[in-house]
This record gives sequence, structure tokens and C-alpha cells, in this order.
Amino acid sequence: MKRISFVLIVLLLISGFAFASGAKETAAATSDPNTVKVGLLCIGDENDQGYTFNFIRGRDEATEMLKADGINVEWVTKYNIGEDATCTDANIEAAEEGCQIIINNSYGFEPFMLEVVDEYPDIEFISCTNCASATDGRDNTHNAFANIYEGRYIAGVVAGMKLQQMIDEGQIAPEEAIIGYVGAYSFAEVISGFTAYFLGARSVCPTVTMKVSFVGSWSDATAESDAALALADQGCVMISQHSDNTTPATAAQSRGVFHTGYNNDMTSIAPNASLISTRIDWGPYFYEAIKAYVNGEEIPQDWCAGMGEGAVVMTPLNEAIAAPGTAEKIAEVEAAIADGSLQVFDTSTFTVGGEELTHAFALDTDGDFTADSEEAVFDGAFHESLFQSAPYFTVQIDGIEWLNAAY
Amino acid sequence: MNDVKTPLFRLAKRDELGRGKVWAIRAGSIIVALILGCIPMLLTGNSPAEAYGVILQGSLSRPIYIKQTVKIAIPLLGCALAIAPCFKMRFWNIGAEGQITMGAVAATFFALNFAKTIPHVPLLAIMFISAAIFGGLWALIPAFFKAKWNTNETLFTLMMNYIAIGIVAYLQGGPWEGRKGSQLIPMFQDSARLPTVLGVHCGWIIVLLLVIAMYLYMNKTKQGFEIAVVGDSVNTARYAGMNVGWVIMRTMFISGAISGVVGFMIVSGANFTLYKGVANGVGFTSITVAWLSQLNSFAMIAISMMLAVLEKGANTLQTRLQVPASIADIITGILLFCMLASEFFINYRLIFRGREKKEVEA
Repeated sequence: MKRISFVLIVLLLISGFAFASGAKETAAATSDPNTVKVGLLCIGDENDQGYTFNFIRGRDEATEMLKADGINVEWVTKYNIGEDATCTDANIEAAEEGCQIIINNSYGFEPFMLEVVDEYPDIEFISCTNCASATDGRDNTHNAFANIYEGRYIAGVVAGMKLQQMIDEGQIAPEEAIIGYVGAYSFAEVISGFTAYFLGARSVCPTVTMKVSFVGSWSDATAESDAALALADQGCVMISQHSDNTTPATAAQSRGVFHTGYNNDMTSIAPNASLISTRIDWGPYFYEAIKAYVNGEEIPQDWCAGMGEGAVVMTPLNEAIAAPGTAEKIAEVEAAIADGSLQVFDTSTFTVGGEELTHAFALDTDGDFTADSEEAVFDGAFHESLFQSAPYFTVQIDGIEWLNAAY
Repeated sequence: MNDVKTPLFRLAKRDELGRGKVWAIRAGSIIVALILGCIPMLLTGNSPAEAYGVILQGSLSRPIYIKQTVKIAIPLLGCALAIAPCFKMRFWNIGAEGQITMGAVAATFFALNFAKTIPHVPLLAIMFISAAIFGGLWALIPAFFKAKWNTNETLFTLMMNYIAIGIVAYLQGGPWEGRKGSQLIPMFQDSARLPTVLGVHCGWIIVLLLVIAMYLYMNKTKQGFEIAVVGDSVNTARYAGMNVGWVIMRTMFISGAISGVVGFMIVSGANFTLYKGVANGVGFTSITVAWLSQLNSFAMIAISMMLAVLEKGANTLQTRLQVPASIADIITGILLFCMLASEFFINYRLIFRGREKKEVEA
């Protein structure tokens, strides 16, 4: 027996050495100046068909565009990272594996990312949708976001036209034009988004009102579905969402109500419900940032662009169920936003506690998490995403009912 | 005719095995695990040799990777030490997750509110002590019910985990939230962070001291002896005049206090903030650590390091070979399963029907 145990232990050691020598250390950064290694850290994976899927699409799009310019990108994509210390570890990991640029795709990644950045001054870190990197005084940390509120406004117009059509055809009474909105948290980005959406809808359907249900998670397929179903049961005939999954669309279809989406075209998943979606196209930003890096230029500290630059796009309209004339209206509104003749947060179109909004700060400078500087209301409109890329509209306007503000 | 009723194989308790045999079984189980681990690798189209190589490199090949690995091992080791006395007592404390969380809550309270007014070292001392007390009290609740009314401690401690996690979820979205709606508690200031020694937060020194302390406590003190007696037989303990309820409550308080300190080390040394996943399964994984090391404090160092190597290596595996994270989890699971199975085969043996007959005839 002793001999057998000896043989086994020797075998174990040999196999250990064999495995240890099986892989060679991957070479550090490649010497080719036109090849760049970029890390993309994602909160979900492509299977969400929403938020992370949209980043992967942007990644692939940018890769193609850069290839045309003779730049090769080697991506290191890490999925299902939490908004917690695992994100710190993932950033260290990506940095150690030779990434020259590291993109963090979720809002909550930023504080954990910032724990790492000083260790790697030569690596560029990008936090999408958050706001501290741009102003932290470091050269190697960056923020980026897009004017998604423009796309949401247009999605709202599409929804409003459908509701008005239903009113005109007598399917619902004017006061029954109620939108149900599935939101992640009662957070500026979400508030800004659903307010823009609501204003878009009301611009074409004056009697519309909205109920917002927060699910307390950016990505929780079941909770999003449950919230959408509950909203439909409370009389909402149009569902929209600021959450990562497609389940609100399928929930809307199952209740026979309509839907507009976010991040991805959901008409194939819910062909009888989903009218249109809006999404950020990350391709232009990734292209610009990586190209700047390769050319030895600065990556912008805080990048923000809108529909005019192709950073926010609408997915194809579901012509089969959309109200007649919707496509023309979309083109008209898009043009008006692009040339500045239409302000999404025009203060003459909404009230707060019955009063017109005359004052709101944009930025928090002293770290107490309450905005205290840069007046955002001027020239008859609230100017969103002007002072920083991350949205800062947090006003509760009349006509929108928050069902559970605890989140 | 007895054959009809004899099952194909059955189990019997083994007599004491020789050292050589025990280690042969253990080494064999690891080899089996390594071979079984090749299957998911091959299914995802990767060379197993390369994959195992990446796991070792990703956890040990560079100083920063070793630091990261040690950082993972610290709470595993600390928590295994915490639950060891409970398991020795046959009190199935699977609530370490919640005790870690409550310790972290207490530490975070002081980190958020007193970072500017209390200097570094006293603040850390207060965080340490408050975490220990909070974790201990959290563990005392099920212990009290067990001692008083003999409630089922397994279910009780398990449910307490979810309450603790729920409390943190509330704090995250409510009173301690940073930017409104963000669900994030702000990062700790420097004065509430553990200093690093040799590149890793000094929690590693704390847990190593705990290893020695726990060894002495369990083997050299009267209280350690009481725990062992209660674990072997409650009636014997009663007969010997021990206050069993008191022993249970005291041991659980100590266990919870150590878990609470682990929570303090996680928030103050590694994460620098609190969130509901703060314990991150450590309370459960450390059960495996304690079990594999057969409640031996020193063996826990090796086992927790081994699990940390797997976890860190699996992370690199995902980065380099782009395998899904779940594949890495499967491999870890196979290894743990085989190692636990080997302990089973050290204690029991299979007897097949035909063979037994021969033995009887002989």
C-alpha cells in the first residue's frame, strides 16, 4: 500500500508540473503600434439582449471601423461582473493582462475602478454613464455617455401617437391613456429618461399620464416582468422601460398592451406589442477613443454626443402596429432636435407642483450628493447633459406618478 | 438465499487506516478531480493542460497575483476558524454569512460617521471591536433559542443570513446611500482603511494570529474541552456538570465575533465600502475549508489558500481563454466534490455483494 501511495503522489506531482508548464505566460503588450488591447468589463452578458448586448454590438462596430483605418483591436471582454469589489479585481486583472484601455460599462463600477487607476498611470480607464472620473483631476480616467433622452423623447412621441390613435378610434377614453414605466432606480439617469419619454408622449397626446414602478435593480428579468405586468393590471396601456432585459416587452404582449423599448430592437420578441426602441450606439465613442489613443492623442475626459452624431439611434419602427404617420413624425422631431429648434426639457411644456421650473442645479461639487452648482435652467429649457455627460435631471414633474420611490 | 436481500453494494465503517493509505486516497482523489476537470475544458474546446496552467499562473505567477490570491484567502481562513468551534460542538452554524455581514455593518457605521473625527488607529480599533460585538450578538440570537428551547440551529442561522443581507440592502438604498438612487454607499476614507503589510491588507496578520489562538483555545483550554465534550455527547456534558446552554451561547458568541471581525477586514481592507453581497459566499465556502481541514487550524491555512488559488486562477482563466465563468466554477466544484468524497472513502468502504460472499466463505 505504501508503494501505491508513493506512486500516486509522484503521479500527482508530475501531472502538476505538466499542467503548470502547459501554458506559457502570454506576451505583454504587443510591439505593433497599430494593435491595441482593450478591456471591456460588463455587468451582464450578451444574453440580456439589452444593455450589455448593446455594448458588445458597439464593440464589434468600432472594431470594424478601426480595421478600416488599419488599427487592430484585441478585446478582452469580461462578463457578469458585480458592482462591488469583484470589479476592482477585474480591473486589476485586465490591467495585468496587458490591456491598454479598460472600459467599465456600468454606472456602479466607477468607484471600484477608481481604486485601481493610480496603480496603472499608463493605462486609460473609462467609466461609461458615471461622472466622477471626468472631474477627479486624473489624466487616465474618463467618462462617457450619450444624450439618450433625445431618443427617449422620440420613443415617447411614437407611444403618444399610438395612444392618441387609440383614443380617436374609441378604444380607450382620453383619461385612460396611461403609460406604465419600469425603472431601475429613482436615479437621475432614470428620472431624466422617463421624463423625456413622458414629454415626448404628451407633445402628441395631451391627456396622457404616467406611472413609474422602480424594480431596485438594473438587471432583474423577473422583477422587470412582474413590474410591467402589475402596471398593465393597473390600467396602463403602454409600457416602457429603463432596465436591461426584454421581459417588459414580453409582459406587455401577454397583457395585450403596447411597448417601447431600450437598448435593443424588441419587435422580434414582442411583435404585437413593441413599437420601437431607442439605444445608445457605443460604436462612435469606442472608435473615437481608441483611435485617439493609438494616435497618441488625449481621450476626452468627458465624452457626450447625441442623435446628431449618431451616438443615439432609433431601432426600426414596427410599421404593422404603429399609428399612421409615425415615421414622418419621427423624421420631423429628429430634425428639430438636431437643429436645436426643439428642446426636450422645454420648461413651458411641464410644471413642478403647479409651477414652471425656473431653477435647478446640475452638478455636485462638494461631495454631499446634492447638486449645488451650474444653473441648468436657462433660455426656457432645462439643459440636460451639458455640464457633464451623465444625466442630472432629478425633478419630479406633474403628471408622472412614482409608485414606489423607495428605490 | 440471503443473496436476494443483499444489495449490490453497501457501506461499512472502516477501521483506522494507515497514514500511507489515507494520503494515497487523498492524492488519488485529486488526480481523479483533475482528470474529471478536463471534461468541461474539452467541451469548451480548450486544452486542459493549458487551462490548468493558466489557473496556476493567474494565481501565483506574479507578485500582484499572489497578493490578490492571499486577499481572497484571508476571509476564508478567518471564517473557517470562526465556525470550527461550532462544528466541533456539533452546532451547525451556517449563519457565518450573516455574522460577517453584521460585523461589516457595524464597522461601516463608524467608518462613515467618524472617519473625520477619530484618528486612524483608534478608529480601526473601534471598528474591529464593534464588528466583533455585532457579529457575536447576531450569532447569539440562534444560540439563545437553541439553548433555551432547542430550536433547529441550521434553519435558524441560515434565515438570519437573509435578514442581515436585507438590512444591508435597506442601508444601501436608504440612510447610507451616496448619490441619490445610486444604491451605492460611498467609499471609505483613508483613515477607515486597513494599512497594508507586504502589499496585502494587514488582515492576514490578524488571521494568522487567530490560527494560533484558535488552536490553543480548542486544544489547551478548559473551554475548548467543554466544546469537545458537548459535541461528543450532550448527556455526558450534563453528567459532568457542564451548563450546556451556556457553552453553546458562549461558543456561538465567539464564533460570531470572529466572523464579525472577518466582515470588518473585508470592508476595511479589501472592498472599502459596504454592499449586500459583502460576505460573497465566504460564510458557506469556509464550511468546506473547515470540513476539509477536519477542524485543524493549521490545515485551514493550506486549504483556504488552495481554494483562493482556484478562485483567482479561474478568474484569469476567464480572461485569457474566454471561457465562461461558470466553467471555472464547475471545475472548482469537481475538485471540492472529489476532495470531500475522499474523506468519505477514508472513513467508509464499499462492500460489493459477490465479494462479501467470498469473504464469508473464506
